[in-house]
Amino acid sequence: MKLKKNLQEILADLKINDSFKENIVTWKTLEAKEAQTVSLPDNLHMALRESLKSKGIEKLYTHQKTAYENIMAGNSIVAVTPTASGKTLCYNLPVLQSILSNPNARSLYMFPTKALAQDQKSEINEIIQAAGININSYTYDGDTPANIRQKVRKAGHVVITNPDMLHSAILPHHTKWVSLFENLKFVVIDELHTYRGVFGSHVANVIRRLKRICRYYGSNPVFICTSATIANPLELAENLTEEKMVLIDNNGAPSGTKHFLFYNPPIVNKPLNIRRSATLEVRKIAGELLKNKIQTIVFARSRVRVEIILTYLQELVKNQLGPKSIMGYRGGYLPTERRKIEKGLRSGDIYGVVSTNALELGVDIGQLQVCIMTGYPGTISSAWQQAGRAGRRHGEALVIMVASSSPLDQYIIQNPEYFFSKSPETARINPDNLIILIDHMKCAAFELPFKAGEQFGEVGTEELLEYLTEERILYQNGDKWFWMNDSFPAHNISLRSASQENVIIVDQSDVANVKVIGEMDRFSAMTLLHDEAIYLHQGTQFQVEKLDWDEKKAFVREVDVDYFTDANLAVQLKVLEEDKLKKMEYAEIGYGDVSVRAMATIFKKIKFETHDNIGSGPIHLPEEELHTSAAWISLNKSFSEMGHERLEQGLVGTAHALNHIAPLFVMADPQDIHVIPQVKADHNEKPTIFFYDRYPGGIGLSEKIHSGLSVVFSETKKMIDNCKCQTGCPSCIGTDTVGETAKSDTLKIIEAFLNPSN
Amino acid sequence: MSLKNKLNRLKPHISGGAAVINNNTPPESARVEIPFLPKWESENVTPYFLDQDYCLIREIKYPLAQKHGHYHFHDFLTAVDIWNKQPISHPLSAEGHRADELFFFDTETTGLGGGVGNTIFLLGYASVIGENLVLRQHILPHPGAEVPLYQSFLEKVNYKTLVTYNGKSFDWPQVKTRHTLVRNHVPKLPAFGHFDLFHAARRLWKHKLDRLKLAVVEKEVLGIERQDDIPGYLAPMIYFDFIESKQPDGMLGIIKHNEIDILSLVTLYTHLTFQLCGMDNNQTRKESFEVGRWYASLGEKDEAAKVLTKLVEGSDFTSLQAKLTLAYQSKKEQNWEISLPLFLEVADAGNDTLSQEACIEAAKIYEHKIKDYELALDYCLKALEIVGETKAPMQKIQQQLETRKKRLEGKFAKFPR
Repeated sequence: MKLKKNLQEILADLKINDSFKENIVTWKTLEAKEAQTVSLPDNLHMALRESLKSKGIEKLYTHQKTAYENIMAGNSIVAVTPTASGKTLCYNLPVLQSILSNPNARSLYMFPTKALAQDQKSEINEIIQAAGININSYTYDGDTPANIRQKVRKAGHVVITNPDMLHSAILPHHTKWVSLFENLKFVVIDELHTYRGVFGSHVANVIRRLKRICRYYGSNPVFICTSATIANPLELAENLTEEKMVLIDNNGAPSGTKHFLFYNPPIVNKPLNIRRSATLEVRKIAGELLKNKIQTIVFARSRVRVEIILTYLQELVKNQLGPKSIMGYRGGYLPTERRKIEKGLRSGDIYGVVSTNALELGVDIGQLQVCIMTGYPGTISSAWQQAGRAGRRHGEALVIMVASSSPLDQYIIQNPEYFFSKSPETARINPDNLIILIDHMKCAAFELPFKAGEQFGEVGTEELLEYLTEERILYQNGDKWFWMNDSFPAHNISLRSASQENVIIVDQSDVANVKVIGEMDRFSAMTLLHDEAIYLHQGTQFQVEKLDWDEKKAFVREVDVDYFTDANLAVQLKVLEEDKLKKMEYAEIGYGDVSVRAMATIFKKIKFETHDNIGSGPIHLPEEELHTSAAWISLNKSFSEMGHERLEQGLVGTAHALNHIAPLFVMADPQDIHVIPQVKADHNEKPTIFFYDRYPGGIGLSEKIHSGLSVVFSETKKMIDNCKCQTGCPSCIGTDTVGETAKSDTLKIIEAFLNPSN
Repeated sequence: MSLKNKLNRLKPHISGGAAVINNNTPPESARVEIPFLPKWESENVTPYFLDQDYCLIREIKYPLAQKHGHYHFHDFLTAVDIWNKQPISHPLSAEGHRADELFFFDTETTGLGGGVGNTIFLLGYASVIGENLVLRQHILPHPGAEVPLYQSFLEKVNYKTLVTYNGKSFDWPQVKTRHTLVRNHVPKLPAFGHFDLFHAARRLWKHKLDRLKLAVVEKEVLGIERQDDIPGYLAPMIYFDFIESKQPDGMLGIIKHNEIDILSLVTLYTHLTFQLCGMDNNQTRKESFEVGRWYASLGEKDEAAKVLTKLVEGSDFTSLQAKLTLAYQSKKEQNWEISLPLFLEVADAGNDTLSQEACIEAAKIYEHKIKDYELALDYCLKALEIVGETKAPMQKIQQQLETRKKRLEGKFAKFPR
């Protein structure tokens, strides 16, 4: 008997192994793809040629060459590149070539995180060193020591930073960066797809400010963006930078054959429709692979999951491989630790990595044979990013997605064609959200006075400037508006949080070491951070000991309990303005501005697994009001045969299911978009479902839903149809509904929304 | 609708008339109207015109016999003289400078932090010209008038060295920042030397002042009483109010505040010089010690020795501090004959951390230089005793001492006396 099996043998085994086979819902084989290469650009500097040669690169992939040619011709580009397709050369090559021919040229690289910036510094420095050329590249972030900051400002050819640093440290001090801004030739925006939603809308405004400063110093940089696969890379890049872009998607990197498996754990509790835990299934599958020394990466959605799986696996294989052969990989690792893991993987000392989605971003850990996802990562493009970690350029690779019991996971796993054939999610931003815009106009005015007629992005500025003048933040003198306030505006504006007045979460588990672990917008805090709430942070349970609403602080302490809390939010929604309204025979679909007034009322304690209600309590918080945009659909049908109560139950169930499916279509965090039903909407007295943006002023999510309502409803119906429960369960319409007819009523209502003839 | 605007709109229709109304700018005399000019002029403020715009400049002359706090302004001349006559090297030394080459500088800004948007609305400075101390303040009458502000400022300043209070990290970088915005319209900023008196004040008076704001130093050290002073943190609010109302009253308060700040710099520099050069008869022993310690840290051994030796007499804490500082200085020179007795004096004097430090140093010298392991062990044990009695956690020192003790016990056993 052979001791170890290789991947082919394991694949063959899986196909016949009964206990595994019956749980495989889908087995999709993606064919191998040959590399498409072209020669290095003719005019490429000798030193760079030599440098590439020393790294074993004698030819470029087609997309790298196209990027090079476009950039050198002065075009801004967005390159869509799958994992491990050599995207960094797309920008490093033209940037270095340009600096070699003009030593005054400067470049600004922007990465979403500090860790990525560090990685990329190492990468570009490797090329520079191998080429033996005199080019300075530095990271500039919160960790940059004060004594070298001066040098970075004056002499950095390539300055590598993140949007937060650009926003609060570079732009407001632009006079210290004159040599950068006067000579800025390239702005590189890597991981473009991460700039979406509120964060992306903020960053778009930071880029408006950057371009404004560049104009002031007389530079006009070319923008180079790279993105993972999303549905609208060109649109996103153009919205974010407000530059005309060339889309580069002729990926020439090779890939081997890839087997993509959807694995649904067996049902262990029929009445409640509960499946075996995905974590345990992953342990079983990964353990089997690792015992055969097949390099495997396991993704999990939280740090805690990572730790649990890691401990399981290390225990499982410690005798065969030794515990150091399987490593964890979470956010917050130091670059040196990561280098060690990368090296171990390449040398073969490390067989397994268990990771959060920190690795989704472009950190290069090389390529493994197998990727296992513990649960659907939330978006199609994340799933493809993670799947990209498995797949050498030659040979076969295996990707297994193990579903959890959540509605979204179950929907995806039961609709493989949705996953494989649908284009990935659309990334939306709304840089003209008034609240975000006005914040950045303040920062911009701090940086340089506004002139009459000046544009800030797509919008005229006059009215906003007048408003800020009335607020005594700006002062108008002649045709200019000057910053006249004693504050430093960028310090009060965080790019990564939803609204300005956030609730700070303070962990006081360790009395000697009280620390802030996070923040949350006020609206969400009402239901997630009320007194006694169980708050989950990175998978750890905390109990809120006190929510100080006036000071906007929640004091929490770590606990270990077997329940979670669920708060009731009494929401009143009023339509303020109908921007779009389409009336049909069976229904009307609208979009416009709404006011959402919410008040948290009570909370319930719900036991894990059984979902028993084991207690409740009141919440004493004032009402909150949110002005935002919403899409809605109202039925002309009254459902009088159903009766008021069943109709209400049905609408609640519909909203619950939609709440899980809708974020899928707008590539948003489920927190960013809310769905609420009204049996008799205030403005038209009809049964109505509202979808509203959770961010004040809206960030374009409900607008996107407005344009694709029927798809959202039909997919939601499919999800409920496919759920094996009888009368509704947490995996479909939720537990707020009671009654035997809830599920069938919900389906009837959705049909009514879908089909006018019914 | 003014006639001029109407004419402009009709311009294409007016034959041959274009040249006449081509020039949008009104005639010279009417071009700039300064609100409340008589009021300004009564406060020694005059306008400075440039192109279409202006700034305001206030100029005041003080006779050198005028007193500000404990000193007269002519004492400042003496101070510069002292530096030029003494061969002491010190960061505040005016050696090689004439008194009129120093300028005392302070700004007022619209914000308290840094950043491009923090506007300087007042640039004030004073220097000795002939028989007077001349104070000038350049005032930004409205945002946007920075070209005349910096133009007028740069025309007037031809000095060698700035004297400021925290100007190295605040005022001067902010001047550079704002200057960058108008750099194409005004002369370059000259390179200056820079005496920042904030650091000196911190060295000398940290031991007795909780806060080292200039106003505190004035009151507690320089004998300057401010009357009806407007606190500096109100400056932004008052300026915002001024640009709305154009009323000079509030601004005059800020201008006065800035004036006193600058005059106090003259007194402070004079006082610091007298302190550093031992010319102040009222100098406390603690101040003397800080001066000596400063010289020691600068490597000015002779000067440090001169100051500290005077403090050695006596049995107060300062005399111990002086002995310890002197002992360290001799230790650095490897002069064990001088340093050891000093360390021993401090070591035997008491039971505080100063003595503990001295015990350790004495133990080191006995162990490594004199090779008297018994005495070394004695002092090591005494140090441990002191550490054991102190309440503050000193684990690291304790550990090091335990290691030393162990080693010494070994050596002593091996090489008994």
